[in-house]
Amino acid sequence: MSEIILEACGLHKTYLSGERRLGVLRDVSLSVEDGESVSIRGESGSGKSTLLHLLAGLDAPDSGRVAWAGRPDTGAVRRARFLGMVFQSFYLIPELDALANVLMAARVAGPVGAEERRRARDLLARVGLDQRSHHLPAQLSGGERQRVAVARALMNSPRLILADEPTGNLDEKTGDSIINLLLGLCTEQGIALVLVTHNASHAARTARTLFMHDGKLQTLQTP
Amino acid sequence: MPWYLYLALKQLFPSGKRLSFFTAISILGVALGVATLVVTNSVMGGFGYEIRRMIIDTQGEVQIRARSLIENPSEVAAAVSKVPGVVGVTPYAQGVGMLEYGRKPAFPLIQGVDVNRVNDVIPLRRFIRAGSLDDLDDDTVILSSQLAESLGARIGGTVTISSPLLIERLKNDEVFLPRELVVAGIFEIGHQQLDSNTVLVTLRRMQDLYGLGESVHGFNVKIAPGLDADTVAARINAALSAYSEMRAFSWLDANSEFLFVIQMEKNLVSILLLFIILVASFSIMSSLLTTVVRKTREIGLLGALGGRPGQIAACFCVQGFLIGVLGTSGGLALGFGFLHVRNDVLLLFTKLTGSQATLERFYQFSNVPAHIESVDLVVIIAGTIVISTLAGIFPAWRASRLNPVEALRNE
Repeated sequence: MSEIILEACGLHKTYLSGERRLGVLRDVSLSVEDGESVSIRGESGSGKSTLLHLLAGLDAPDSGRVAWAGRPDTGAVRRARFLGMVFQSFYLIPELDALANVLMAARVAGPVGAEERRRARDLLARVGLDQRSHHLPAQLSGGERQRVAVARALMNSPRLILADEPTGNLDEKTGDSIINLLLGLCTEQGIALVLVTHNASHAARTARTLFMHDGKLQTLQTP
Repeated sequence: MPWYLYLALKQLFPSGKRLSFFTAISILGVALGVATLVVTNSVMGGFGYEIRRMIIDTQGEVQIRARSLIENPSEVAAAVSKVPGVVGVTPYAQGVGMLEYGRKPAFPLIQGVDVNRVNDVIPLRRFIRAGSLDDLDDDTVILSSQLAESLGARIGGTVTISSPLLIERLKNDEVFLPRELVVAGIFEIGHQQLDSNTVLVTLRRMQDLYGLGESVHGFNVKIAPGLDADTVAARINAALSAYSEMRAFSWLDANSEFLFVIQMEKNLVSILLLFIILVASFSIMSSLLTTVVRKTREIGLLGALGGRPGQIAACFCVQGFLIGVLGTSGGLALGFGFLHVRNDVLLLFTKLTGSQATLERFYQFSNVPAHIESVDLVVIIAGTIVISTLAGIFPAWRASRLNPVEALRNE
């Protein structure tokens, strides 16, 4: 049996809206095995992104716990090496070129040397941007920016990638190519993937699809 | 290089882009503040330095004065010469007289100097612009430059000098004829008051003009380099304890009120100008706060990548520090560049306004002096960089307090 790379048990999260307390997540539990791909679908506002932020350790649940590879430490230092994230809005640093944006993940995790530079260049080549490594984000198309973001997520050889609607700002064709790329690279490198998406066809390409409804997580399909 | 330092540098100097407008304005603000501080401090310091130099060059580091005439100058000079640290002693006698050249009168300060010893204490030769100090004898006189110019006196011309003794003698029905002296030289110290109204004669001639006999009014003393003038003055006072009417004053002591006013003026102007740096620091703070707002989502991303709040804060603090360093460097270059051409600027200004004579009359110097103490420079540099870094602390704190989730959701 594969190692459980991500485990969430009994997550509850509420937000204050004026004087009302809104329950966003209600008793959500989830586990993802090493190298497994899982998609989470759901309506807007159903709590998908909130769940992803809790899984990433960026926010704390009101109750419940998250563990990465069996350890509850989801702090910034461990996150830098354990986790890669891909966002809908790419979030590239506009002052840095594509190569420097990819390397930024390595810089935050530790010193950068020749090995890291070589890996960043290789990753850019893998996402088809080896000729554009010195272009600034403003000089790249939306699809190219997301490819850079995918390369950045893979830079530190993470055990887990959390992707929050990575095709949300792209046209269908470009979105398909990004999903192909993301799934292909994760499979090839044995990285677990949690993909939050609205797109049913993209979700169908993962090993398992979960559905988020009214703050609860339900299993839709188990191939 | 730590990522926060790398990112701070990249945000200030983006690859392939020009410096951001906000950054440029912040650096310029600091640079202008530093340049103004350097120029003002140098010019104020220059006035003070020139005045101090002039006091020492014309009086020596220590001056011995007496409540009455010093009737035994050789004895006193010998006693003073033995004091450790004293390298030169020269007697003087001085007083106001009436000088006439071609029926043009003037009432200069007549300074009687011992031609054999005066150069041991006062570098008179350095100030001679025409003629020679060697030609100064009991029948000659050396005029200050502006006095000679106003009288139209030239080398070889004859001036007549009378002293208050003329009136004293007339009261006793005696005749005291004005002395006719040939102009042997013209000197210029660079201080308007001295250059416009001073006459040098030999000590013997001055004793003759004032009827002093062998007496003198005081001594100018030069001390060994590096020694403290107050300490040597105290030693001289101890050596002269037998002469109760005499007292040695260091140049600092003798001009303490004047020097205090100069220092006070310099300090006040520096404090006022410090506000320029403070205004510039607000510009830095405003620029960095704008950056924090503009880059909220990037700050969230850095959190998602594993950046810690302290590191995110350091990224903005470093930017404030770098703006301070760059602004200070630019300000130093600008300030010292301006100081290099200050006299040309002044010349242009006085030509345009026709105010050269007025400036010299009020400010005593014909050129703008400049002198900055290294400690003043260190205070300006360190103070500016510290203030600039402090200006980055509030934006840095704001950035570090941003919740990554909220920051990533920010639109």
